This record gives sequence, structure tokens and C-alpha cells, in this order.
Amino acid sequence: MVYLNGQSPPGKPEVLRCRSPEKETLACWWKPGSDGGLPTNYTLLYNKEGEEQINECLDYRTAGPNSCYFDKKHTSLWTTYNITVRATNELGTNISDPHYVDVASIVQPTAPVDLSLEVKQTAGILYLWAKWSPPPLINVRPRWLILYYELRLKPEGKEEWQTIFVGQQTQYKVLKLYPGLKYVVQVRCIPDRGEWSEWSLESYIRIPKGQSAPGKPEIMRCRSPEKETFTCWWKPGSDGGLPTNYTLNYYKEGEELINECPDYKTAGPNSCYFDKKHTSLWTIYNITVKATNRMGSSISDPHYVDVTYIVQPDPPMNVIPAVGIQDGKPYLLVKWSPPPLADVRSGWLTLIYELRLKTEGEEWETFLVGQQTQYKIFSLNPGNKYIVQVHCKPDHHGAWSEWSQEKYIQLPSDFRMKDLIVWIFVGLLSSVICLIMIWMMVLKGYSMVSCILPPVPGPKIKGFDTHLLETGKSEELLSALGCQGFPPTSNSQDLLIEFLEVDDSEDQQLMPSHDKGHSSKNMKLVHKEMDSDSGRGSCDSPSLLSERCREARIPAPAFQTPNTGEIQENFAKNNRWEMQSTKVEGNVLCSNTSSPKSSTWPGAQLLNNQALKFSCPNNADDNKRNTGSMNRTVVSLLRGNEEKHQSRYSNTIETISSEKVDKQEEMQNLHSKAGQDAVQLLSNEKSPFLPGKLLDYVEVHKVNQDGALSVLLKHKENSGKTEKYNNPGISKEYTKVSRVVDSNLLVLIPDARVQPTPVFQEPPQEPAQSLQQDQAEKNMSYCLTAPIECKNQTGGLDYMDPSSFMCSFN
Amino acid sequence: MPHMITTMNNKGASLKGVLLVFLLISNMFLTKKSVTSLPICPSGSVNCQVSLGELFDRAVKLSHYIHFLSSEMFNEFDERYAQGRGFITKAVNGCHTASLTTPEDKEQAQQIHHEDLLNLVLGVLRSWNDPLLHLVTEVQRIKEAPNTILWKAAEIEEQNKRLLEGMEKIVGRVQPGDTGNEVYSRWSGLPSLQLADEDSRLFAFYNLLHCLRRDSHKIDNYLKLLKCRLIHDSNC
Repeated sequence: MVYLNGQSPPGKPEVLRCRSPEKETLACWWKPGSDGGLPTNYTLLYNKEGEEQINECLDYRTAGPNSCYFDKKHTSLWTTYNITVRATNELGTNISDPHYVDVASIVQPTAPVDLSLEVKQTAGILYLWAKWSPPPLINVRPRWLILYYELRLKPEGKEEWQTIFVGQQTQYKVLKLYPGLKYVVQVRCIPDRGEWSEWSLESYIRIPKGQSAPGKPEIMRCRSPEKETFTCWWKPGSDGGLPTNYTLNYYKEGEELINECPDYKTAGPNSCYFDKKHTSLWTIYNITVKATNRMGSSISDPHYVDVTYIVQPDPPMNVIPAVGIQDGKPYLLVKWSPPPLADVRSGWLTLIYELRLKTEGEEWETFLVGQQTQYKIFSLNPGNKYIVQVHCKPDHHGAWSEWSQEKYIQLPSDFRMKDLIVWIFVGLLSSVICLIMIWMMVLKGYSMVSCILPPVPGPKIKGFDTHLLETGKSEELLSALGCQGFPPTSNSQDLLIEFLEVDDSEDQQLMPSHDKGHSSKNMKLVHKEMDSDSGRGSCDSPSLLSERCREARIPAPAFQTPNTGEIQENFAKNNRWEMQSTKVEGNVLCSNTSSPKSSTWPGAQLLNNQALKFSCPNNADDNKRNTGSMNRTVVSLLRGNEEKHQSRYSNTIETISSEKVDKQEEMQNLHSKAGQDAVQLLSNEKSPFLPGKLLDYVEVHKVNQDGALSVLLKHKENSGKTEKYNNPGISKEYTKVSRVVDSNLLVLIPDARVQPTPVFQEPPQEPAQSLQQDQAEKNMSYCLTAPIECKNQTGGLDYMDPSSFMCSFN
Repeated sequence: MPHMITTMNNKGASLKGVLLVFLLISNMFLTKKSVTSLPICPSGSVNCQVSLGELFDRAVKLSHYIHFLSSEMFNEFDERYAQGRGFITKAVNGCHTASLTTPEDKEQAQQIHHEDLLNLVLGVLRSWNDPLLHLVTEVQRIKEAPNTILWKAAEIEEQNKRLLEGMEKIVGRVQPGDTGNEVYSRWSGLPSLQLADEDSRLFAFYNLLHCLRRDSHKIDNYLKLLKCRLIHDSNC
């Protein structure tokens, strides 16, 4: 059934207990069930054993709420009651389980009353006299109910009761009380059948202090901290309720005289301090303590003391743990000093030490140290925090001191070691990798290098015949080179325009049309200064160049030739030119090489000088000088990048090596020259441009009538490789034509240092001189000796070993 | 009797191991301050001699060892025979060496001249020659005397003679020429060790061992004091 509003019939009540305090009346208590949210009425119903009639309780009040009191009339000792409780509200009724009651078995008296206490003394002995009365409702006289009593007592404030079973009497003598204490006393009773009553109300009494002789004191212990003095402590017995005096007496073995303690104060109450004067070793002290008051005295048992055996030092002082490193491993070094009282220095007392340490939460580990005052502990766990303590003891007898104060020490973690290991590992690994790489390079070095730096395709020379060069028939040679416009000899013009036009700018290479623009810029600069140089502009003949070479994209050569003289001047004044565009430099180079180049062709040698004279306003002598100085300046422009050149050279050489040995050799020559120049020009200023851009290999542009060779930058397809090839060469002087490639390319090589051979008579002495002179002149000498070099090349002489370049590469 | 001797030899052999252990332990305790290294003796040198510091070092080690043995022996005896007999109360009668006035505290020990103290040590050591000799023989008559006690008595007797030898050398070094009068305290306790009454006899042993322990400690203490004073200038 479901009731709205949470209302319901009452819950089932429960009869808790029924008690009869004196076997004459009865009281029952119940516990109501839930009231169902409504006013509930409780009715106690009972019937007696063997009776049908059901009665209701008559007195719901006397025994309190939820109870029923049966008075004497309604309490029958001879029958069993069947008791139920009925709860009723608007919604229904609930009845408890029946509760059967036998009055005689449920007697629980109330507590005894009127407990009185009195202290009495008989024969000098104090005792407590306690009296009380039976529970009030019980009729004691007819002995209707037999009660037994129990008494308990304790000194006030203490926990434990002393319980005494008294019996049927209502009084008791309590002995063995402590004088001066206030006692708490209670009694209770129990019927012969039934349960204990509650404890009676507490009664208090103070036991007055007795007047008796004191109890026997007890000597607890004696201790000497340093084998020079000692102290004894005792525990007093009872004082008998009177002020008690304690005296300590002693005598030493072999002495009759009894002495009293020299000092009761120093070591505190109930102690005796024996100072140095009163302390002897190797003798036995017989010590007793006597307690005395007005009533009498008592003497402790004798205590035998041999100072040797009661030494217990103070704990060691200044325990200092420290961390040290030995063989890369940390250890703990603990130092301490002996206790200040102990005279260790004189040898009177010898102490041994024990040390213990632990990490937090671990067990102590103990080390017997011996007589040292320091100790090293190895094999500790790095990074842990250790607690260290030390204590000490005389060498033979006595007791260990207390442990010293706890000292904490943090061990360094293994950080350094781990770090080191990691670094060693990394180092080994990287070195192994390096070794592998080196090994691979040694095995596959060439292919790797060529992979990284593609090889320079060797120039292919069709029908090149070295014999032609040797025989000096330049015409045949040139024709062999296959340049259609090349046979300069066929040209009737006597003018020889000699220059190498080298431009390192990519723009120029890729977009020849821009060249003019750039050139014109340069030209402006040049022309400004050219103004002073009259007639130089006529040195070059752009018309010729354009005519003779198939290639139409020649950057205006007109101003290139005049540059020579002008630049020389400029350099003589300052180095401003270096800061100018690379094209200017290219021009300079061209002019540099111009005069030597003419010597490439032996036939044109004589004409060369003439041409110079003819074409340039400068006199021939100047021209020579100028070229020398120009060499210097040009190289100086390159100097800054010399190192980069180096690598390029080697690369180039590498690729070339797969081609013709001749080429390689040539390159070596070039390189060696470059190196020389670099050394020579160390003092020069930096060059603002990249070496790679500086020089492109040149294209033979035109050969004029005199056999002068004009060379142009080669752009496009081959540029990447040939560039490199030519770089070093141009930083030198291209004084020789090595060969002609692809009919349009002219390979130039610098002069070797080889002594000029007298093949060419023209400047026989000049080379020799120049070699001995300064570097500028040396460069000049290259120019002059260029033809000889050609011969040498074919002979394969005086070349550097390519491996040396590899070194620089690596 | 021959049988007896052989058993004794066997026991002695087994006890030598124990002795070694004890020596090691006592060395451990005393290795703190090795005074000096051994002197370099050129072969054939007439004046080659052990330094005084080394002599003291050895003497202290020996005295330490002797006291260690006597303490052990006393404790063993006390545990085995003296429990509940109240011997300690009777032992207050004193020892036979009490006639030798020795320093009783640090102050006295520091005030006495070191030569006098050395002579006192010699005196005490000499005073124990006779009783130790008898102890070794008499202790064998104790009922069920454990081997350890027997062995220790013999060992102490032997080591005491060695220590006496060393001390005579030290005294000869410290005060050359003055060989010192052979002062010692005579022991008359032999009859008490042979008493028929077991209780009295045991007490006689107890007292003797008690005095031996005390005097050996006294000697050890004096020697350590002297060593610090003479060798380390009272700054051990």
C-alpha cells in the first residue's frame, strides 16, 4: 500500500527490557517504531501465564516515557508476563513481538546510597572507613532481597580503579592508602539473582599525610663523563608524610672512614657530584643513601662503584660530514672532535668512536672507527641525503655515549659521471662516423666528389696536333683548332688586339645583351679618366672584333683596350678600382694578358710590340711596365678569395684528371701560379666579388691580322664547368693558348715558372731578370715566356701532383 | 699426566688462532697513532736501537692487550662462579699491590714525575710475576674451569713478563744508569687459592682476578699517559 503525504500506519514497536528493582514492582520500557507521520498511541498489553485475560498497563508515567510501571499490586512473583505493545494511528495499528518476563530474574536494584568516608588510624596505620546504605526502595530488614556490595576507589585524577568485593556488609576498611592523596570512592550492589546496580554517587576524601619514617631510597646509577669526576643519582622512597633529608655516604675500599657526599647541588636533585678531588680510580666506592625524617630513617642498599667502569663520555662534538672525490668516485669524509670534557690529549682517557649513517627511511649502518676522529665512507649512493651520527666510548670499559646530533649531508648525484659518459659516447660515435666517412671517401672518393661537384668536361680538341705547335706554324695550328675566323694571319691587318675579356657576372653570361649596358657603365668610368689618355681608345678596334668573330655578342671592346692604360693609372693612384664593378676587373684582366698573349703565337711576337706601339699611345716600355703592374693589381683583386679558388681548382683538376693528363697538368700550373700570387699579394685588400664570377673561361673571339687573339667569355651550356676551369687561370695571366675546344673555345694556361727556353728569341733576357725581380715582374715574365710553356706542357714537365689538391679539399 | 699434557697442547694450538684474532683486534684499536716508523738500521751498526716512541707504542699495545685479557677472564669467572655470592662486597678488602702507592686520579698521575711513574709501573708488573705464575697452575684446579680461562691465565702470565721486559728497557732508556731498585709488592695469597672451602677458594680467585683486572688497567692507563707525555708532549 502506498500512502500519500508520507503517512502510514505506525511501525512495529519493540519491548526493550523489563526490570524489577526490588522484586516487588516491575517496569518495562519499549522502543516505538515509526509513527507513520501521524500522532500515534501506544498501549501496553499483558497477560499472565495461564490466563486468557489481556490487561492494559495502568501506569504509563512513573517509569518515564514509553514505559509502564507495575506497582506491587500488579506485580506477581510467581507468574510469567507476556507483554506486547500496540501502536495505533489513523491509518492503522502495529503490534510488537511478545516479551516474556519473569520478575524474579530481572531484578536490578538501584545504587546504594549514603556513602560516607572516614580516615582512621589504628596502631599508627592509616585506613579508610567507608559506610553506605542499601538502595532505598528495598526492604532490607525482611531479607526479602539479598544484596552483595562492591566498592571501588582511586586517587583523584588517576584512571585505574581499585575494586574491592565487600560482601553483604555495608561498610569496609581500606588499607594501603597513600598519604596526602584525595581518593574517589563508589559502591554498587547486586542481588543473588539479577544484575549489578549502577555505581553510587562518587564520594571524596583526602587521606591526611602520615607521619612515618621515609621509604628506602634506591641508588639508580653512577656515571663519569671523563674518568675524572663522577655523579650518582638515587630515587627516593616514600617520605612518610614528613620532610625528609637525604644523605649520601661512601667509603673507599680499604678505608674505614665514611665520607659524605661532597656536592649535592651540581648534578641536580637527588644526586651527588664527586669532583676531581674526590674521585679515585682503581678503588671501589661503597655508596649508600640514607633518607631521614622526624619519624626515622632508612638506608639504601649499598652501591659499589669502580670509576673505571662507569665512564660514559659525552657525545663527540663538531661532527662535520663532507663530500670528497677520490678516483672520480665520491666518498663521505666525516670529521669530529672528542667531547670537550674528555682529556684525550694527555692519554688519560682513550676514546674509540663509532659512526653510523643512513638515508631517510633506511636502517642505520654502523662503522667502528677506532681512535681516529675522522672516517671515510665509500660506496655510497650518489644523490642521496645521508644522516650521520657519531658516538664514543672509552677504549676498555664504560658505555657508549649518546649519539651526536644528526648531521645531514647531500651527496652529489652522478650527474658529472653520467655527463662525462654521455660525452664520451657522443665523441666515440661521431669519431666512428667520421672514420666511416673518410673510409668511404677513400674508397669512393672520386665518384663522391664528382657527385658533389660535377666533373668539368674536358675540352675536346679536334685534330689538335702538338707537333704543329712545336713547329711553330701557327696558321696550321689555328686552322686545326677549327675556328673559322681564326686564322689571324690571313688577316692583312697588322693591328693586334690582344685582350681577354672576362666577365664574372652571371648576368653577363646568361644575358649577353646586358653586357653592353654594364660595359657602358664601366665605360663611363673609364672614359672619364681616359680623357687624359689621348689616343688610347684607338687601341682596340671593335669593328675588327665584330667582324672577325662569328659571335656577335661581344661586349663593346672599344673601351676595353683603353682600360689598360687607364687602370694602370688608377692603380697607381689608388685602389679605387677594386671597389668598382667586376667588369672593370675583367677588362683589366684582358689588358693584362693582352701583351703576353701575343707571344703565344710566335709569328706574331714581333708584331705584338709593334701593335702596341701602333695602337696605343703609350710607348712600348710603358706598356711592359704597365702590364706588370696590372698583373699585380688584378691578382690583388682576386686575392681575397684565393682560398675559395683553391678548392675550385682542385675540383676542376679532379674532373679533368679523368680526361686528359695534359689538361690536368695545365691546371696544376695555373694553380701553382695562383698560389704564388696569393702569397705575393697577401698585403692587398680584399676583393668584393666572388671568384667564381670573376672569371669565365674565354672564348676566342677574334684574331686580328697581327695574330692577336681576342677572347670572349663563354656563356651558356658549358659555363658551369668551364668557369671553374678558368677561374684560376684568369687570376693569373693567360699567356698561352693551350688548345682550342669545340672550335670556339680557347683554353688558356698560365706560364710555368720554368726557365724560358730559347725557342723564342724575342725577349731572351727579360724573363731571366724578371724571375729574379719582384713578383710583379715575375708575372711579366710569365707573359714573356708563355710560348716556352707550351712546349713544356707537351713534355709534361713541372706539374704538381693532383693529390695535393685533394688534401686541401679534405 | 702425559695424556693431560697432550690435550693441553692441542688446546693451546687451537687457542693460538684466537690469540691472533685478539691481537688483530687490539691492533685495530691502537693503530691510530703510530709513533714513528722503524728506525733504519745500517747493518753492523752498533747504536742501532728501537726508538723510545716505538718502545712505548709496543708497550701500550701489550698493556692494552693484557688488560683486555684480564677483563675478559674476570668477566668469565664472575659469570660462572661468582653469581649471587656477593663477592664484590668482600672484594673491598683490597689487592696485594695496594702497598704500592700509585696515582689514583689524573691530577696525581700528571703530577708524579715520569721516572717515578715508570718505576711504579715496573713495581706493579713485578708484583704480579709471582701471583700470575701461581694463578696459571692453580686455576686448573678450579672445578670445570673453562679452557678460555686457563688459556688467558697462561697468556697473561707470558705477556706480563714480556711487558716487564719492555718496561725495563724503556726505563733504562729514560733514566740510563739507574737500574732502579727492585721494588715490588709481595703476594701472599697462594694459600687462599688452595683453600679447601670452595666458596673461600673461589672468592680468593675472584679477588685475585679482580685485582689483576684493576692493575692491568692501571698499568695500561699509566703507559698511555706516559706515552702521550714523553712522546707526544701531552698532545696525543
